[in-house]
Amino acid sequence: MKIKLTFKIWLMIFFLAASLLAIFAGTGLTKSGILITNIEPENNSLFDLGLRQGDIIISIDDQKIETLKDYSSILSNKYIGQEVKTTVKTTNKEYIIFSDKFPELSVMEIPKTNLQLGLDLAGGSRAIIKAENKTLSKTELNDLVDITANRLNAFGLTDLKVIPVSDLAGNNFMLIEIAGATPKDLKKLISEQGKFEAKIGNETVFIGGQDEGIASVGRSGQEAYIESPKQSSDGSYYSTFRFSLYLKEEAARKHAEVTSKLEVNQTPQGNYLSKPLDLYLDGGFISSLKISEGLKGQVTTQISISGSGSGATKEEAVENAKAEMKQLQTVLMTGSLPYKLEIVKLDTISPSLGEEFTNTILLAGLVAILVVSLIIFIRYRNWKASLALVLVTVSEVIIILGIAALIRWNLDLPGIAGILATIGTGIDDLIILMDETSQKVLSLKQRLKRAFTIILGAYFTTFVSLLPLMWAGAGLLKGFAITTIIGISVGVFITRPAFGDMLKKFQKE
Amino acid sequence: MEKRNWHDRNYKKLLLIPIILILSSIIYLFMFNVQNGDFVYKDISLTGGTSITVFEKTNIEQLELNLSNQLPDLTIREIYELTTKEQKAFTVETTADSDVAKQAIQEYLGIELIEGDNVNIISTGSSFSEGFYKQLLIAILIAFIFMALVIFILFKTAIPSLAVIISAFADIIMTLVTFNLLGMKMSTAGIVAFIMLIGYSVDTDVLLTTRMIKRKEGTINQRIIGSMKTGMTMTLTSLFAFLAALFVVQSFSAALTQIFTVLVIGLGYDLLNTWVTNVSILKWYAEAKK
Repeated sequence: MKIKLTFKIWLMIFFLAASLLAIFAGTGLTKSGILITNIEPENNSLFDLGLRQGDIIISIDDQKIETLKDYSSILSNKYIGQEVKTTVKTTNKEYIIFSDKFPELSVMEIPKTNLQLGLDLAGGSRAIIKAENKTLSKTELNDLVDITANRLNAFGLTDLKVIPVSDLAGNNFMLIEIAGATPKDLKKLISEQGKFEAKIGNETVFIGGQDEGIASVGRSGQEAYIESPKQSSDGSYYSTFRFSLYLKEEAARKHAEVTSKLEVNQTPQGNYLSKPLDLYLDGGFISSLKISEGLKGQVTTQISISGSGSGATKEEAVENAKAEMKQLQTVLMTGSLPYKLEIVKLDTISPSLGEEFTNTILLAGLVAILVVSLIIFIRYRNWKASLALVLVTVSEVIIILGIAALIRWNLDLPGIAGILATIGTGIDDLIILMDETSQKVLSLKQRLKRAFTIILGAYFTTFVSLLPLMWAGAGLLKGFAITTIIGISVGVFITRPAFGDMLKKFQKE
Repeated sequence: MEKRNWHDRNYKKLLLIPIILILSSIIYLFMFNVQNGDFVYKDISLTGGTSITVFEKTNIEQLELNLSNQLPDLTIREIYELTTKEQKAFTVETTADSDVAKQAIQEYLGIELIEGDNVNIISTGSSFSEGFYKQLLIAILIAFIFMALVIFILFKTAIPSLAVIISAFADIIMTLVTFNLLGMKMSTAGIVAFIMLIGYSVDTDVLLTTRMIKRKEGTINQRIIGSMKTGMTMTLTSLFAFLAALFVVQSFSAALTQIFTVLVIGLGYDLLNTWVTNVSILKWYAEAKK
């Protein structure tokens, strides 16, 4: 049997093939290895050699790595306290390091598809933020977005989105989405105004921000370090951090001017000026630095900043000191936010149930399609048309996913609801097509035309009913509106016309 | 003159069923509003509050007993594997602040909860949620008005268009009443489902109306029966597909469960409102025009 396909059917096949390509090209189906999602730049020998986020590790010590299990089993048996040689091979380079533990890397298996899952499926955090007691104008909001993006980048977060959003009532918000692991103290990091002030007595010497008095901030090696923890009198531990800060000329001169007026105090530990340099963050006192005699009236651009973190155990003290240091470095580099902020919504989702969740949804979809095909077969007793209906429905879903992969649209839970909505209306339309074409009046062409009048009518009513959701509530349901609109449009303009042609073919036979 | 069958004699009386249901629904919702200050019970996605999902096993009743005096408006849900019924996690919802809720659960379980690791935390401020809810209501209203406009443009005649709109409206309020009677709490997802319902309920009405007023072949009754065959297949297929999906997602996703539940109820009422409400009005209209 020779089958000649019509233009509309070819069009659907073309879209289907292109969608499959968009979903699967260049993914874990064709590549092996594990993907680096984050690499800690500080004190990291692999980073220094050039290993970066996005690289794919294919082997360690010539042992092939295909899964996360391979990766962790090789590394867990390897380091036993002594310095050993490790060979790390990526798709384009080989790295050799000597160390007593493997440098800090976050890795994941290469995704099997190009589909990007939203936070509620893949894990991550989302915050919606507004200024406290103040309505922000568009320009103010954009400034806020820039500073925040800058601050999160300086903190070391890369896979993130910071955008201004507004809602139907005209409120402006800042939306932050961070994929993957949620950083500790996220709340503090995004809502803290970060107003850093260095004062001697009542006089401000400099404030934070590279647009202000700061030239640069030391971040690694000898320029930033944590001292080993010490025990306090109450049994808990504390650890001191220190890092260098480079001031701009102006701030340095101000420092000279203020210190020149101070007197010198002689103490058993050495000679210091009468007043210390006090550091404040958002009005809260951080620490006080004694200024040595030699700096009196000097134009000095380098200052050493210190502070401490405490904890119940040594490890906790070191961790907290590290976190405090990173926070402080970040606000010193990026400056303060112009407004006090309020987090109106903060969601942190763990990726741990994500896979099961996706599987459940796939199962639900599969069961639904099975039920539909069963009903259709019982009703029409026409296996060719019933099979075509199921094929067309599955194609529709694949094309929606293909478009989502192509435009890098994040599939979130509302988006999946949208796909379900599409399947539902899609099947409704296909049933209309089957019934209209099987009537005994007029020519087949006219019957198809009539069917499409009904389908287009239903299409436009659904289309317009979705429009308000594009903007309502800071765009939280935009995913639903967009996916459904893509879905019903694909259906009405690509797959359903193809189904009409298939029905024509079946009738002619 | 053709012989009058049962439907020909009684279709006007049949219209009483939806009229009574619509009126009592409106009265019920009005009373509900007086009593509760709103047309629905809202969950924390619309009132503001905290939802914490913990990926640990615990005895739900014990937990509820322990937390109920610490956290206001407490709801606890279990998440379990579909086939083995093995508990995977549980979700605590409360109007309390996220830090307070997290602390309380942490103290009860005796383990540290780390955001993005063994716990999901979704927290929403109450003023933001209120604004969000108001906008979603406006969105439904606009969606409904847009739909009505398209219907008028499509059919260009007042009574058939109104019949479609009344049927869609009836679907929505009857579903809403059932939703309340079942004691369910409306979430964002539920509102999305109501918007989906507008689309679904209009589908079959558009089919029916097109066949009734734009076609000339056959008698009115033949056209009604033809539409009914098609329309019933459409609605029943969707209904059973959603029921099947509902069974699969039941414990796993509260959001999808609510969407499917609303759609199943709504499609059920759509059978009544398309094939009784809409058909009767259209038939009356067609008979009167003769």
